[in-house]
Amino acid sequence: MSVRLPRIVDDVLSRPTWPGTLPRPLERRNLGVDYDTAWTREPWARFLRRAFVDNVTRPFVTALTSPRVFGREHLDPLEGPVIFAANHSSHLDTSIVVSCLPDRFRRRTVVAAAADYFFDRPWKAALWSLALGTIPMERNKVSRQSADLAASLLTDGWNLVIFPEGGRSRDGWGQEFRGGAAYLAKRCNAPVVPIHLRGVRPVFPKGGRALRRGKVEVRFGNPLRPGDAAAQADREEDARHFAARIEESVALLADEAESDWWSARKRAATGRTPPFRGPAASSWRRAWALPSSARRTSSARSKSSAKPW
Amino acid sequence: MKALLVERLVHRFAAARAAAFVMGSGSGIGIGPLRLAEIDPPKLPGPRWHRVAPRLAGICGSDLATLDGESSRFFEDIVTFPFVPGHEIVGIITDGPDAGKRVVVEPVLSCVVRGIEPLCPSCATGRTGACERIAFGNIGAGLQTGYCADTGGGWSDELVAHEAQLHFVPEAMNDEAAVMVEPTACAIHAALAGQIVPGERVVVLGSGTLGLCTLAALRRHALPSALLAVAKYRVQRRFAEDLGADEVAAPSELGRAVRRMTGTLALASTAGRVDRLAGGADVVYDCVGSARSIAEALEVARPGGRIVLVGMPGMVRVDLAPLWQREVALVGAYAYGTEEVPEGRRSTFALAFDLVAEAQLERLVSAHYPLERYEEAVRHAANAGRRGSVKVVFDLRREDPAWRRAAAPAAAKRRVSRDNKKLETSA
Amino acid sequence: MSPRPGFVLEVDRSTPPTLFWHGEGFRFERLPEGARVVYPPEPLDGLVDPDASIRHALEHPLGDSQPLSSLLKPGMRLTIAFDDVSLPLPPMRRPDIRQRIIEIVLDAAAAAGVDDVVLIAALAIHRRMTDDELRHALGDRVFDAFAPSGLLLQHDAEDPGALVHLGLTEKGEDVEINRRASESDLLIYVNINLSAMDGGHKSVATGLASYRSLRHHHNVRTLQQSRSLMDRHNSEMHSSNWRMGRFIKDAGVKIFQIESTLNLDMFPSQFAFLQKREWEWSLLDRAAFHASRLSLDRTPPRLARQIFQSMLSPYAPTSVQAGEVEAVHDVTLENLHRQQLVAVEGQTDILTMGLPYLCPYNVNSIMNPILVACLGLGYFFNLYRGKPLVREGGVCIISHPTPWAFHPVHHPSYIDFFEQVLAETTDLIEIEKNYEHAFATDPWYIHLYRTSYAYHGVHPFYMWYWCAHALEHLGAVIIVGGDRAAVRRMGFKPASTLADALEMAEDVVGRNPTITHLHAPPLLVADVT
Repeated sequence: MSVRLPRIVDDVLSRPTWPGTLPRPLERRNLGVDYDTAWTREPWARFLRRAFVDNVTRPFVTALTSPRVFGREHLDPLEGPVIFAANHSSHLDTSIVVSCLPDRFRRRTVVAAAADYFFDRPWKAALWSLALGTIPMERNKVSRQSADLAASLLTDGWNLVIFPEGGRSRDGWGQEFRGGAAYLAKRCNAPVVPIHLRGVRPVFPKGGRALRRGKVEVRFGNPLRPGDAAAQADREEDARHFAARIEESVALLADEAESDWWSARKRAATGRTPPFRGPAASSWRRAWALPSSARRTSSARSKSSAKPW
Repeated sequence: MKALLVERLVHRFAAARAAAFVMGSGSGIGIGPLRLAEIDPPKLPGPRWHRVAPRLAGICGSDLATLDGESSRFFEDIVTFPFVPGHEIVGIITDGPDAGKRVVVEPVLSCVVRGIEPLCPSCATGRTGACERIAFGNIGAGLQTGYCADTGGGWSDELVAHEAQLHFVPEAMNDEAAVMVEPTACAIHAALAGQIVPGERVVVLGSGTLGLCTLAALRRHALPSALLAVAKYRVQRRFAEDLGADEVAAPSELGRAVRRMTGTLALASTAGRVDRLAGGADVVYDCVGSARSIAEALEVARPGGRIVLVGMPGMVRVDLAPLWQREVALVGAYAYGTEEVPEGRRSTFALAFDLVAEAQLERLVSAHYPLERYEEAVRHAANAGRRGSVKVVFDLRREDPAWRRAAAPAAAKRRVSRDNKKLETSA
Repeated sequence: MSPRPGFVLEVDRSTPPTLFWHGEGFRFERLPEGARVVYPPEPLDGLVDPDASIRHALEHPLGDSQPLSSLLKPGMRLTIAFDDVSLPLPPMRRPDIRQRIIEIVLDAAAAAGVDDVVLIAALAIHRRMTDDELRHALGDRVFDAFAPSGLLLQHDAEDPGALVHLGLTEKGEDVEINRRASESDLLIYVNINLSAMDGGHKSVATGLASYRSLRHHHNVRTLQQSRSLMDRHNSEMHSSNWRMGRFIKDAGVKIFQIESTLNLDMFPSQFAFLQKREWEWSLLDRAAFHASRLSLDRTPPRLARQIFQSMLSPYAPTSVQAGEVEAVHDVTLENLHRQQLVAVEGQTDILTMGLPYLCPYNVNSIMNPILVACLGLGYFFNLYRGKPLVREGGVCIISHPTPWAFHPVHHPSYIDFFEQVLAETTDLIEIEKNYEHAFATDPWYIHLYRTSYAYHGVHPFYMWYWCAHALEHLGAVIIVGGDRAAVRRMGFKPASTLADALEMAEDVVGRNPTITHLHAPPLLVADVT
């Protein structure tokens, strides 16, 4: 037996059908990279977001990961908009970075998020852009539209958090840094601050189903500007080289995180920093060489969970 | 004369149905539509009719369904109230030149019985069970003796029957054997309806009277390569093994047993259950007649197989998706008539007489009751398996009725000739 | 205080009641005066630094073998096979000894730049291991490095493409093993030698074999002539495996065998009383025993099973050796006997044993009646060297609830074996002749073995054959406290109490029989003279 709605309710709720004899243009849907996030930067939205981050996101992140922050002093001399480029291994990365930014940056920050993942449904687009201040961006080839949006925001004084890998790490090692951050830095003349996140993967890895508690460390590195490199003093450094330089600085921060600042510096000076993308070897050897902070299951969690049938 | 009478009292049917729902079959007997009455014996409807005094009258599953109020409304047009139930009858003719001779009554009220000429197409070919005139002629509507107000029925001191319904009982055959003839005839007709090709694998669901007789009939008249009986109770298991089942399984083990028998794969989840088989048995006989049993039959019949419904008196709700997707044939088998066997055309009842004698089916009669104790009798019949019985009958013999003697011990405890290990005697 | 060796106790009137295992629970039984009880040795101390011992073993191999580091070269094909979930029993606390060994081996392989590495669970025709069980045995680091890329395999004895037939031994036995293992440049086998039956050539010749190979030594005749299964020098089963193992070596398969032995520290602290002699129980032990017994009596079977199956042993490794198979195994057995051997003088009329809740084939599962018979008559009966503990024609009395219960996922073919085969006959030869082939080749069982977590269709037969020597030797088998119908189905006699069982046994062995009780687990090997 099926339940039937009263006729009048049905009439109100059902959408009328488009007549077949009338042509219908294809509308631009407010989704993906076309999603307009301007409303989330209105004062009332920023107020809501601030309240949410302060009262929900930050306590949650602190309880789950007890993050320790290093290198905040590198941010002191910076004024004006900054691009923060971090390594990416977990959906929690954005919340952690946003929670650990100094307040003056956090107040006026947008986060570049994958348009196909976070902006594919209207409710998701609204949710993430309001809660975290995200703007849509393509993973691979950044279009003029998203690049223009990011550039205009930077020029307006907004800071940008971006993950140059384009997606989360699959096997615990980093992926090649793409040119988006480098290009924007050049275009808007903004410094790039490299960030390394350590220990997030065991908490919530790619493909993970549950959250686990774990200790996380956030390291801010020296700000980089395009054309800084001594060797490139004359030529304009192109985005690709700059992106590689940003990747190297994140690798240096990773080395610092696993050992200490001085040994990492010495290794960097002789070009022996462990590669960000891991060893060139088979999958098991790459997995074997991962530091414990990047493994899916950290050694702290090796209690047997074998459930009897 | 004394008789058990079913009257058309709707509220009583409803009460019986509620009781059966809550407390199981047969529990509504006290508040149901059946009562013991003093009534006049039925009048003879015509010249070829005789008076018959029943000696034994069996209680059948369809009788129980009627008394539980579970009978399908389909039967309303082919039953006349008030009627005396009882269609498994062995009795004595009390009038005419054959007075004193024992007879078994073939209950179907077909064209000949009803004095209808010319015969309907079914009766003309000998398929009296499918008679198309069962609501017409010179007696009231009624599919069988035992459902018709004009004929009376077995659960009484006297009924009337047309000479075409009477089959003489050989001297050597006792009353218990004779009362088994009618259910055996149903079973033979059903067994043959399956049209078993030699070498097919057959499952019989349900090992009550009908299931066990069907087993015996299959052994005698068909050549299955494997015959599996599904029995819930120990008494049923023993009889099933004795009457020719190759293997006997409990209902919960049906899937696994058929899987072993046919060597097929199962479409089971990893929880380890074996419910649905990818292949299955060639023919499944449903001698239980419930929604659950049809569902089980559909689970173990192979694609393109056949399910024979040997008894379905009530209304059931069944998911027929497996029937459609696997192209399974669902075949009804009712009553008896004439059968085509290798020896030629013989009436089902004649074949039944032979089978009862051969397989000694009188052993299935487990308990006798007088009409006065009809409530106990119906309850016993409804719980027969659980109480270690198979067939329960009313004993109307004046001289030495069986219910006066001590309970007959022989039937249930018969030793099986097979390997002792199969027999788990109670410790 | 150094651990004391095992010994044989003579029961007298002052002897307190003896602890009998009874499935998921225990009982106290009073043995009659004059009975003997064989107690296992106390647990030896484990290795002080297991990792260092492992590294030492790898670099100082036994027999004709080079150190591991020199065998590892970049570009080579390496396969590491390891014992499956049936060892150790009960499962040991983390880190499992296999985890320790394999991590050290992989460190060496990583340092040598070996890219092509595959891990294989050598389970022959046992059930596949679940992810949790693999994680437990190998550790998270190894699991996470190999499982996601499909480099952690489980041996599939029914995949023709994954097997290779190497040939026939001099006695015409098929040698068919895992293809990847045999075609590797180096095959490392990581073994846990819990009982004297394990290890040696049996690791590869059985663990990585197919039905075609197994049936040459897993059959009634071979097992009747294995006296005992714990004594490889007098076991036809082992002789066959040794022939096959040597054949495999001659066929060019290079095996680096790593074997380990464990001490007998089987039970965690809350069950410490299970390892102590009854007259030495402290107040805490007695309290713990009675508390456990009472609460277990009230616990529903399913919950009791869960409690016991989640118990992990504090086993410590007592030795690790590596190198050439036969040389390694001889040293392993020396170490094993050092821990487990007990000298027993003379045989007895009646042998009693209390069976625990666990055997190799019901880890995280249910112990069905067939496994009860296998554990008692296959394993415990065979815990001897020299002569069986009980004389020929004697009686074996087993204490176990023997429930008529089967795990439908792990043991589907066992259900059919019990319902169909044992209902017809319990005779081993008949069963082997009439039913084994059908079960071994049934496509449904093969499907479940390959894709679900089920033991192979033929496995219940092997469990039954494991009792071959015992069934030939004994006069009767009585099970105390078991489900009557299940016990009868197997052809044994049910008894309600031990006293009744002893009465029934006297009908077979005569009045005033001698009685010996095997106080195991912990495991022991009785050296009977």
